[in-house]
Amino acid sequence: MKKIPVSMTVNDDEVDIYVPAHWTLLDVLREELELTGAKEGCGEGVCGSCTVLMDGHPVRSCLTLAAEARGARVLTVEGLGGPGMELDPLQQAFIEKGAVQCGFCTPGMLMTAKALLDSKPEATEQEVREAISGNICRCTGYAKIVEAILDASHKSET
Amino acid sequence: MRLPAFEYLEPRDRQEALDYLARYSENASILAGGSDLLVRMKQRLVRTSYVISLKHLKDLDGIRPDEDGRLCLGSNTPLVSIIRSPLLQGAYRGLTDAIRRIGAPPIQHYRGTIGGNLCLETRCLYYNQSAFWRSGRPRCQKDGGEICYAEENSDRCRSANVSDGACALMALDAETVLESREGERSLPIEEFFTGKGESPFARSPDELVTTIRLPAPETAFGSSFRKLTYRSAIDFALVSASAGVKVEAGRIARARIAVGGAGAAPLLLREASEKLLGKSPEDGDAVAETAAQAGRHAAAFMVDNLGATLEYRQKMAAVLVRKAVQEALARAENGNARGRRER
Repeated sequence: MKKIPVSMTVNDDEVDIYVPAHWTLLDVLREELELTGAKEGCGEGVCGSCTVLMDGHPVRSCLTLAAEARGARVLTVEGLGGPGMELDPLQQAFIEKGAVQCGFCTPGMLMTAKALLDSKPEATEQEVREAISGNICRCTGYAKIVEAILDASHKSET
Repeated sequence: MRLPAFEYLEPRDRQEALDYLARYSENASILAGGSDLLVRMKQRLVRTSYVISLKHLKDLDGIRPDEDGRLCLGSNTPLVSIIRSPLLQGAYRGLTDAIRRIGAPPIQHYRGTIGGNLCLETRCLYYNQSAFWRSGRPRCQKDGGEICYAEENSDRCRSANVSDGACALMALDAETVLESREGERSLPIEEFFTGKGESPFARSPDELVTTIRLPAPETAFGSSFRKLTYRSAIDFALVSASAGVKVEAGRIARARIAVGGAGAAPLLLREASEKLLGKSPEDGDAVAETAAQAGRHAAAFMVDNLGATLEYRQKMAAVLVRKAVQEALARAENGNARGRRER
């Protein structure tokens, strides 16, 4: 099988690998880099559990070819916190507000929320709900997730 | 879900892309974002040996007016740039409203492109399914077989065009520019669609949609878009409607109404649109009559192929047309008032 070179930055690490041309970014993250935070839910771009940030924008890693991510800066949930075991304020808020139940959607939710708060630190509830409209959660009913994101957004102001 | 193997091609410029298309023709697929193509490849609905990425074709990304004031949208312009463009406010609100309703705004809009949305393959409840789901029975017409599961005894594929962008572009009287190594041609948006479910686009396999051209913006012109879905995001239209209207001296001078989710092309409802001509924008009866006729015509094209009952979609077609026309008229009048103030 023909492999192609892929160089990108993943969570501040330079990555240079050869992967089959038909691999998606999600395949590379999970199979090659062993970053299993991003999840494969539907595999068809509907559920959002594979969401990662590519150059700061949330994308479906299951519908992004690894080749298309060449040269990009990719951030996954593993790279969200600070050095060591420090949690991102968003992750802390998700814990405090009980925004996690089964946890499968959580990495995607966190990354989408991260992109929102990076561009709009003082997001309104409406903006939060719109931002996560592409991420499906079958446990929480979204209320706690919205609360957590708003909480993190308020904390970032102070 | 793994993608099937293919060769990935990354042309550096338009010429190289057209060379690849000429060489590989129907064995190649164009990747303009991938949110439709890659799903269909995963479901084994598309078998392709070469995937041609448009990522380096920077001249296809952007919105510029040409010398006649028409707006040229590069086909590889991301949806997010369409929504945010100051050039596309006012008269073109129908398009930006439509684009806003594609997928989930924060996600698909960075990868999805306007050309990709225009070329969104027609869909059907019985076709857009996994390979496993489809393996249980003979292939349908869109899948290369001879049966139609949406409409009994149909001799052709009855899939539906559910592209929000295409519906809005139809109402805006857009033009598509296609290029191949042999040269360039432009097609009015009506002619870009064949109306055939099996092969919905007039694009030949060696052609690339390079530009979508919108008529020069006018004052007192308004456009709008309405879409019926069960979910508020990540959902295709069950039926949609778009309208573009021009008001002159207190009368409706031009009108174009399009309905999506009905046939294999966005339906341009000429007769219904003509009912509005010469009427006052405040004439509620004219709008109601137009909507009723548009609904009847659209209903005649619909079959039971999307995720709601046929009767519901048929009824809602008229409702969406009415709302779209009302909104377009209100916007045209606002534009008019603004134009007067500026003078």
